[in-house]
Amino acid sequence: MYSLVAIGFTLILGVLDKLNFAHQEVFMLGGFAGVVIAPFASLWWSFPLAIALGGALGLLTEFVAFRRFKSQDAKIAASLSSLAIGLILVDAVQRHWGGEPVAVRSNEPFFTARFSIAGIELLYIQVFIFAVTLALMAALHFVIMHTGFGRRIRAVAESPDDATLHGINVRRVSQGVFVISSALAALTGLLLAQRTGYASSEIGLTFGLKALAIMAIGGIGDMRGAVLGGLAIGVLEALTYHFGLGRLGEMTVWAAMYAVLILRPAGLFSARGHLEQRA
Amino acid sequence: MGALLSAHGVTKSFGGIRALDGIDFALGEGEVLGIIGPNGAGKTALINTITGFYRADSGSIRLAGDEISGLPIHAISRRGIARTFQNIRIFKRLTVLENVLVAGKRAALNPIAALFRLRREKPALEAAANLLSAFGLEAKADWRAATLSYGEARRLEIARALYGGPQVLLLDEPAAGMNEAETERLVNDIRKARHRLRAVVLIEHDMSLIRALSTRLIAMDYGRKIAEGEPAAVLAHPQVQRAYLGEAA
Amino acid sequence: MNQDLVFFTCVNILLGWSVYVVLLSGSLSFAQGAFMALGCYAAGLFTTKMGLPLIPALALAGLITAGIAAVLGFPALRVKGVYLILVTLGITICVRIALENLELLGGVGGFGGMAGANVYLALGIVAAVGVCLWFLSTSPLQLILDAVREDENVAAAVGINVTYIKVASFSAGALIAGIAGGLYGHYMNFVRPDSFDALISIYAVFFVILGGVNNFLGPVIGAIAMTVLPEYMRVLQEWRPTVFSALILAMLLFRPDGLLPLRLTTVK
Repeated sequence: MYSLVAIGFTLILGVLDKLNFAHQEVFMLGGFAGVVIAPFASLWWSFPLAIALGGALGLLTEFVAFRRFKSQDAKIAASLSSLAIGLILVDAVQRHWGGEPVAVRSNEPFFTARFSIAGIELLYIQVFIFAVTLALMAALHFVIMHTGFGRRIRAVAESPDDATLHGINVRRVSQGVFVISSALAALTGLLLAQRTGYASSEIGLTFGLKALAIMAIGGIGDMRGAVLGGLAIGVLEALTYHFGLGRLGEMTVWAAMYAVLILRPAGLFSARGHLEQRA
Repeated sequence: MGALLSAHGVTKSFGGIRALDGIDFALGEGEVLGIIGPNGAGKTALINTITGFYRADSGSIRLAGDEISGLPIHAISRRGIARTFQNIRIFKRLTVLENVLVAGKRAALNPIAALFRLRREKPALEAAANLLSAFGLEAKADWRAATLSYGEARRLEIARALYGGPQVLLLDEPAAGMNEAETERLVNDIRKARHRLRAVVLIEHDMSLIRALSTRLIAMDYGRKIAEGEPAAVLAHPQVQRAYLGEAA
Repeated sequence: MNQDLVFFTCVNILLGWSVYVVLLSGSLSFAQGAFMALGCYAAGLFTTKMGLPLIPALALAGLITAGIAAVLGFPALRVKGVYLILVTLGITICVRIALENLELLGGVGGFGGMAGANVYLALGIVAAVGVCLWFLSTSPLQLILDAVREDENVAAAVGINVTYIKVASFSAGALIAGIAGGLYGHYMNFVRPDSFDALISIYAVFFVILGGVNNFLGPVIGAIAMTVLPEYMRVLQEWRPTVFSALILAMLLFRPDGLLPLRLTTVK
């Protein structure tokens, strides 16, 4: 079910185009945290919790990591700060729950029920996830393309300076973007955990970073690209496993990213390049 | 060909925009070739293409008969083409003296050798110091380049360009942002520079500079050459006047 | 002070330097973990399977690592800044996975049998590299590196072969990391691929950020601080990732150039 990987993360990443790699760990871990909190209530409650948590974390990161603005150096510093935050989160989680994956117990039959279609067994939850992600994608697309807020996001993505000149509160927009993307991340993490039945603190590094690679491959800032990229990687990975190359499958993403970044730095599908080549 | 630097049928497009549309020109020994044109005419694009920042889509560019189109930037630079930038680009974190030294041919050619040079070679240091003096910057040799005024920074940029002993100097709107006094000083500085070089290409909007310095003038618009010849004649050319919306005075 | 501590500090200093050397030309590399691993395994192979004495093995391993870095780096260094971070992280992860899958080198289980490194060797290597770096910082090459770091395009315009410089410094960093890796392996006697994961790369970068980005003593300070202090303050040790990350965060916000931000000018 690589569609989960693909679509879930593209949501996060597509929206993030503004800062070009602000943070990733935070997101994934947000998701994790959301999941593990679940045992205290019906699993359905974990959804809003995850969303809230993700949003809060996003805001925090934005505040801490977004102190400086435009220059290249500053962007790197911002990314590094977010990296630091990510590590803190991982540590916090590991401290509390240990380093091993934690089971996500569910008392709702919905989450474990299965059914069959044409001889293929599916979990209800897989369909649920698929539906949710499609819905989210559509919603995001709608927001970005057809609402005022979405327009502001696009304006800022194009050029923060020009946007300010037009009276757009860049800070607010970036906060909004962070909140949305973090919340989405948390949600995705939650979904993933429910699908697999486990939440793991390692996930940020393994899964989350892969998502970044997918973003780079698909093209920064292009949702379509991210989705297609994710799907492509999913397929590639499956093939690699299939051909018996086993664990080397892990490498696929990174090797692919390496290749793409070098040959087509803008990503496979991105319309606008993010590189500066001018004098 | 006989020309020092020449371009033939050079084109360069970005997406749908033709920045350069079949440019031909030839720069001869001892000339100061002025290039004028409205914004977007392709003047900077031309410099960028000559120096290797852009790769021409078609056409050829020759330096003293050798094809240089397609070479990497540093190779073109080492062959003797130096340039300045429209928005002054000096190394702000280095000192004034270091800015000049960094353009040294010897060091650039062989980094390994550069590593093992215990002391800077005296001749190199002296040459750099002399250059700084020529441009009135010797007093600030050890200051961080970021502290220089606009005019001083521009002079540093020129000095640095000259340090490598280039044959041709390409100046991209050197007078941008300068007042009258500074511009006059710039004219003198360029005259000084001219003596150390074989030829100069001067892109400018400031007509006083063009008139004071150029031996020949080319006018560009929409990536094409629209006039060429004696400065006075070119400036009086109807198409040129139109391009500048009657601004050419 | 016990020997282990000194040894690990030395290794960390070398790692910090390996990041620093690459940073000199303007690239922030998160690939040092990979190079450390490569160096370790290479050196290990030389000593265990081919019976070479330690020092030549280390040197050779370093060179091989540098060579691999040059090959990988040549295309990789075309990307800039943030994307480079991604790529180098990717390299680290890929190398680890590759190592896990090579049964020849023990796979996930690890690779053992290396011996012979001791504190004095480590100190010696640190001293040697330190001298080289000091030498570098007063040489014309430093100037070239600074120029490349500040503005690649202009550097090219004054005749500097930017690509060569960047790849060379990337390789040099890998060389140092490789040697550090070899040292590490031969002290610990046994290593596993996951001893060299992304976290090492990240910490190596942290050393530099903490101590100082602009001169070669910075990474030393950073490495010492992050290795030695935890030994004396149990708090730090238990909360290491959190405290370090928080520290780095503070650094990035308030003093992005590190504790020792001075740049040593080359002409005096």
